This record gives sequence, structure tokens and C-alpha cells, in this order.
Amino acid sequence: MARHQRVRIIAALAQESSEQGYQQVTVADIVSRAGIARNTFYENFRSKEDCFLATQEYAMTAALERVVAAAGELGNWADRVCAGLTAFLEYVVEEPALARTCMVEALSAGPAAVERYERSQQAFVSLFKLGRDVSPHGGQLPETLEEAIVGGVFWIVYQRLAVGEVAAIPALLPELTEFALTPYLGAEPAREAAARASGNLRSKPGA
Amino acid sequence: MRDPANQPVESPEYPPELARLPPGRHGLPREFVSHNQRERLIAGLAEAVAENGYAGTTIAHITRNAAVSRRTFYEHFGSKDECFIAAYDTVMAELRERVEEAFGQEEEWPQAVRAGIRAMLEFLAAEPHLARLSMVEALVAGPVVVERYDAAIQSLVPYFAAGREGLSKEVLAGLSPTTEEALVGGMVSLISRRIFADRTEELESLLPDLVEFTLTPYLGSTEAAKVARAS
Repeated sequence: MARHQRVRIIAALAQESSEQGYQQVTVADIVSRAGIARNTFYENFRSKEDCFLATQEYAMTAALERVVAAAGELGNWADRVCAGLTAFLEYVVEEPALARTCMVEALSAGPAAVERYERSQQAFVSLFKLGRDVSPHGGQLPETLEEAIVGGVFWIVYQRLAVGEVAAIPALLPELTEFALTPYLGAEPAREAAARASGNLRSKPGA
Repeated sequence: MRDPANQPVESPEYPPELARLPPGRHGLPREFVSHNQRERLIAGLAEAVAENGYAGTTIAHITRNAAVSRRTFYEHFGSKDECFIAAYDTVMAELRERVEEAFGQEEEWPQAVRAGIRAMLEFLAAEPHLARLSMVEALVAGPVVVERYDAAIQSLVPYFAAGREGLSKEVLAGLSPTTEEALVGGMVSLISRRIFADRTEELESLLPDLVEFTLTPYLGSTEAAKVARAS
């Protein structure tokens, strides 16, 4: 029951934030959206900020679990990148309001939120970093490369969320995979690997 | 609504030496600072936002910094938000001008990209308050500013898309339509993160990494690294 309530409040905060921007959202908005008593809100969270951090934690945990589970099963690095991105995009499409809250609003919600936002990118940073081992020039790649790739991937997804083009997100998979692989493998091999990996995923039963 | 462009000229409320912003304290380039009230208000807002954040800034902070009356503030702007938008637009116009100028001075595209990125990093590093205003506080200043922020970032896309010219069919086939958007997003995320963390002094050292990152899809990593390290 308590968990159910928390999730409901979290969903309400995400909805409200994605509609009017986190800064403008009040506890009253969240309470009325969730259809709960004000007291119930304060039994679960100390403040709007506390609720925001819980929202981030909730969405990040769910998204990361999926990414790690999807990417961990495979042997080939390019396939793992593609599988991880697939899982991530699927989560975003299922939960656009939560995704928007964590990717967009987090940057305006104070230092603790920004710190969590940065942590949310770490799973991808580590996954991409493995590409240095298979890259012919892995030793010479810039130190900030993974940070930049993740920033680019998040930006593309964020742009689609910002204009409400959620339906266009799954189709981004091959290009995002290619974008992530290119610095390690070179453009041509990256394109081939991305096409192969997204093809493999598509032909996987149940995928 | 009064037409701000059609106001009777007011006599200064303070002697000029008091009305002028002391140089250096407000973090604005000299060309921003003038006797013009509107510009003084914009500079006053930039200073107030640097000290108090957007949410904590009041009109009283702005008018105190600008050394003008509250009434004068409302003759120029309807609200704090409106003043912020004006400040944001001023900063971005300045940044755009510098990037454009630097980009235009180079003959070759890879060098032009490097010059443009360098100009941007230099501006943001030299003006930490304006960097914060445009890359951090803009995100908390409401949907109107966020929309402008998104548009400003997307407006960098053509600088990179110009790199497609003259590439072979094979290389072009390997560049997806969202390449430039992803490059711009990646670049901005590296920059904003340093500004969020109050580490603007690190911005200029990002130059080689950013150049290599953005040129790689077009030139391949060996050539991109060569241009990047020549900086």
C-alpha cells in the first residue's frame, strides 16, 4: 500500500513536471493529480524536492536495471551497446513523463538532482568505455569521449521528448548505435556493426 | 502596456558616476555596459542571478545593481522573467557573434570548427556569470527560456553540417541525419557540466577533446585528432 502510494505520487510529479516544468509545480498540484490527501504526501515525502529525488531514483533504477540486463547477456561489444540503447529507448517510450523529468527537469532541480543525473549516465559511460579495448586506436581516444557520446544520445532523445515526438524514438536506434560506435570503430565498420546488431535484435524471438 | 520604444527621455536619477556599474564586478564585457537603462538593468540582472540564482533574484536586487528606480524597471520590463529573457538574448547574441566571427576567419572547415569552439569556450570561461546565466539558470527560468535555449543549441547544427560538403558518397552514407544534433548535444553537455560544477576554469582545456569528438564522423579519428592537437 505504502509503496503503491509512493509510486502514484512519483507518477503525478512526473506528469506535472513534464506539463508545466518542475519549478512551477507545487505540492498542491501533485496531490490533486495523484488524488490523495495532502497529509499522505507528507507521510511519504518531506518536500517537493525530496519527492523529486525519489522520482529520479525510481526511474533511474528501473532504466538501469533494464540496460544492464539487456547489455550483459551478449558477448560482442557492439551488440551490447545496441542492446543497452534498445532497452533505454524502450523505457523512455513506456515512461515518457518520467524520462522527461529525469533527463530535462533534473538539471533545474538543484545540485543533488544534478549529481543523480550524472550518475544516471554512468552505466552507459562504462558500457561505451569497453569499446576502447576493441578499438584500433583505443589508447589515444580523448578522456571525455564517453561523456560526450552519452550527452549526445541524451540530447537527441530529450529533443524528441521536448516536442512530444515519443513515437519517433524507437526508430533512432540504428543511428544512435552508429553514433556511439563510430569513434571506436570508424564510420564504416560502425555502420555495419550497428545494422547487424539492430537486425539481430529484431530477429530475436520476442524482441 | 506602454511602448518602451516610445518613452520620453528621462533625466538620470543618479549622478552618472553612481549610475555607472563599477567595472569588473558584474562580469559583463565592457561593450554591454552603457548608460542605457535597459542595458544597465540587464547587467543588474546578470549580477543578481550570479549571486542569488534565478529563483532567489528579486526586482529589488536588479534595480539596486542597476541603480535605477523600480518604476524605471517596469518602464522597460513587465516582469523579472521578461528581463531575464532580454538578458539571455543579449548573451546569446554576443556569443553567436563571436562564434560566427571566429568561424568565418578560417578558410578550411575543420579549422573553422576549431576556431568556433575555441571562441565559445573563451567567452564562457572569461564570463563565468554569463556562462551560468545562459547554460544553467536558463534551464530554471521557465518554458519560454527553455525553448530559446533549445533553439540556441540547435542553431549550432549548421556549423557542423557544413562538414558534409565535399565528402565522398561512401562517407556521407555513413552519416545519419541526426549526427550533427548528437555532436552538438554531446559538446554542450561537456560544457554545461563544467559550468554547473563551477569549474569554468576547465572549459578551455576541453578544446582538443571537443574538436576531435566533433570532427571524427567527418574526417575519421586520425585526421580529427591531428586537427584537434594542432590547437
